[in-house]
Amino acid sequence: MSHIQIFDPALCCSAGVCGVEVDQALVSAATDVGWAQQRGAAIERFNLAQQPLAFALNPVVSGFLQRSGAEALPLVLVDGEVALAGRYPNRGELARWASLPGVTDLTVASGGCCGGSGCGCR
Amino acid sequence: MLFIDAAPRFLFFTGKGGVGKTSLACATAVHLAEAGRRVLLVSTDPASNVGQVFGVSLSNQITTVATVPRLSALEIDPKAAAQGYRDRIVGPVRGLLPDTVVAGIEEQLSGACTTEIAAFDEFTSLLTDPALLTQFEHVVFDTAPTGHTIRLLQLPGAWSQFLDSGKGDASCLGPLAGLDKQRDQYRHAVEALSDPLRTRLMLVARAQRGSLAEVARTHGELLAIGFSRQFLVVNGVLPVSESANDPYAAAIHGREQRALAELPDSLALLPRDSVPLKPFNLVGVDAVRALLSGQDQGASVPASTPAPLAVPPLAILVDEIAADGHGLVMVMGKGGVGKTTLAAAIAVELAARGLPVHLTTSDPAAHLTQTLLGAVDGLLVSSIDPHAETERYRQHVLATRGAGLDAEGRALLEEDLRSPCTEEIAVFQAFSRIVREAGTSFVVMDTAPTGHTLLLLDATGAYHREIARQLGNSGRRFVTPMMQLQDPHQTKVIIVTLAETTPVLEAAGLQADLRRAGIEPWAWVVNQSLAAAAPASPLLRARAESERPLVETVVRQHASRIAVVPMLAEEPVGDERLRRLASPTPHVATLEAPSA
Repeated sequence: MSHIQIFDPALCCSAGVCGVEVDQALVSAATDVGWAQQRGAAIERFNLAQQPLAFALNPVVSGFLQRSGAEALPLVLVDGEVALAGRYPNRGELARWASLPGVTDLTVASGGCCGGSGCGCR
Repeated sequence: MLFIDAAPRFLFFTGKGGVGKTSLACATAVHLAEAGRRVLLVSTDPASNVGQVFGVSLSNQITTVATVPRLSALEIDPKAAAQGYRDRIVGPVRGLLPDTVVAGIEEQLSGACTTEIAAFDEFTSLLTDPALLTQFEHVVFDTAPTGHTIRLLQLPGAWSQFLDSGKGDASCLGPLAGLDKQRDQYRHAVEALSDPLRTRLMLVARAQRGSLAEVARTHGELLAIGFSRQFLVVNGVLPVSESANDPYAAAIHGREQRALAELPDSLALLPRDSVPLKPFNLVGVDAVRALLSGQDQGASVPASTPAPLAVPPLAILVDEIAADGHGLVMVMGKGGVGKTTLAAAIAVELAARGLPVHLTTSDPAAHLTQTLLGAVDGLLVSSIDPHAETERYRQHVLATRGAGLDAEGRALLEEDLRSPCTEEIAVFQAFSRIVREAGTSFVVMDTAPTGHTLLLLDATGAYHREIARQLGNSGRRFVTPMMQLQDPHQTKVIIVTLAETTPVLEAAGLQADLRRAGIEPWAWVVNQSLAAAAPASPLLRARAESERPLVETVVRQHASRIAVVPMLAEEPVGDERLRRLASPTPHVATLEAPSA
């Protein structure tokens, strides 16, 4: 099974309820990750404010921060390679990466920012 | 003294800065040591002078106090503990990650809750180390963890998952990530705190309504998390003998006795001690011993009336505020220094000059609201109740953001909404709603977010602005609350303190925090000054004299503008008495202008 790593921006908590306004994307991300974990996906989340060393010691993440800065987070690695940046994955993406059995492609249903991998919103 | 009788293993003193926690903790430690017990005294007061008191140099290692047999002591500097904690997290990545990224992480870890938890982490072992417990029969703390710290350590599920996996992916554990103790140790520490046979908590207050209301809140909060054995210690009570030749002292005495007679119900049930006001500050073992013995050891009472303080009254500041025609006035300070009263005094004085004023208070007792509502022309009073706001915010988030979530998603969201940040955010939102009104009239508030909160929120705000720009949502100018608070034409921040060591240090810390956020406090107000009231009673004169070096420190080192408000003979409630706070008193009116 693939190993999914999500590198979060500096957050007080993973649902982002500490911001001026609760960010729906963070709330959804927290629950989507929980959903995939319950079904056996191997997902780790790293919070920049709590585990900066994990960012610094990973050459891919460290290089990403040098180039694009913390505001370009989150960054998602699947088996160590960049799978997604600038937004959180949806359930369909998580299921595909983790090869969750019996889960069909939910990409459209869960309505990410644009679907598919990589965000073309800019 | 009831609180010393049959003392258990652990004694904690809690209360706001300046009420005399450290003095009482020292006196208790000396008392127990002289009764033949082996005692460890632990101070976490940022202004701690325990070393000076006993003539030894203290550190965060246990040191024997030679002048008092069987007594040892140690000092924990909460700021140093927090810095050490930040260094553990940030140190390894300095130079590896971009500087801006590192600075962002450091700000996340600069809040009050980090400091508090780091200090608690430092002394957890004192509650659980078996070797230490054989060595000492009593451990006396001049501080106590707040309910918030203990709740964080008790966070269900999240906490154990966090330590088991070594990953902070569960919930709001930011402040805990760098702690190095084991979960068992925290659990045992919390158990020790809530065991009435092992632990006694002394709520220390002054005989003033505000101070007593403050400890009533602490009492409820700590009771709720299991700190069950509590005593009330009222410190610095003016003896009736001082009333004899001084009507002012007589009035203060009456005011204090009334406050004690009208004690909040929850406190009235607690065992209570009264410690009389002393003319001296805590220096030397003799003074410490005298604190609880009822003798005025070496009382030095000034022979003549000291020269009055050369500082202006509050009315001078109100003149300047009024001249702008509108604006936001934020009165900031630690609990118990009189923020609500001063905010009300400024608002009433502005309204009395015919100006439109909105006073917003977070005073849960809302006694000012009751007194003032409809009583003053041109004055609108509203209230921000932190509990109500937090609950409203929680429900709102669950109803909107949580609407589309499944059961597990909702459970996760609810757990994060129990975090202490939630209250800060909820109050901030209520605050923001009212701040928008300040464009055309005066808004006076007794509550405000700290610089730290503003920095964190502004980081989010900046991010949102950037996104909006990228999406081409142009033509709309974004003004964040931070930008408004940084603009001296729109906002005046007034820092309130008492003329005592710890409150002045705490106020200076608050100022540093605001400056970090690019906000320059406009003025300082020294509240409840005896010196400004020029009392005749020898005891009060001695206390007034001890204020002088502190007021000088504020003028020289901290404040660009200062006003001093006298301690009033009556509780400052009602518009007439509140106006008296702002107006020059007969005594102070004769002072020369400040030289600075």
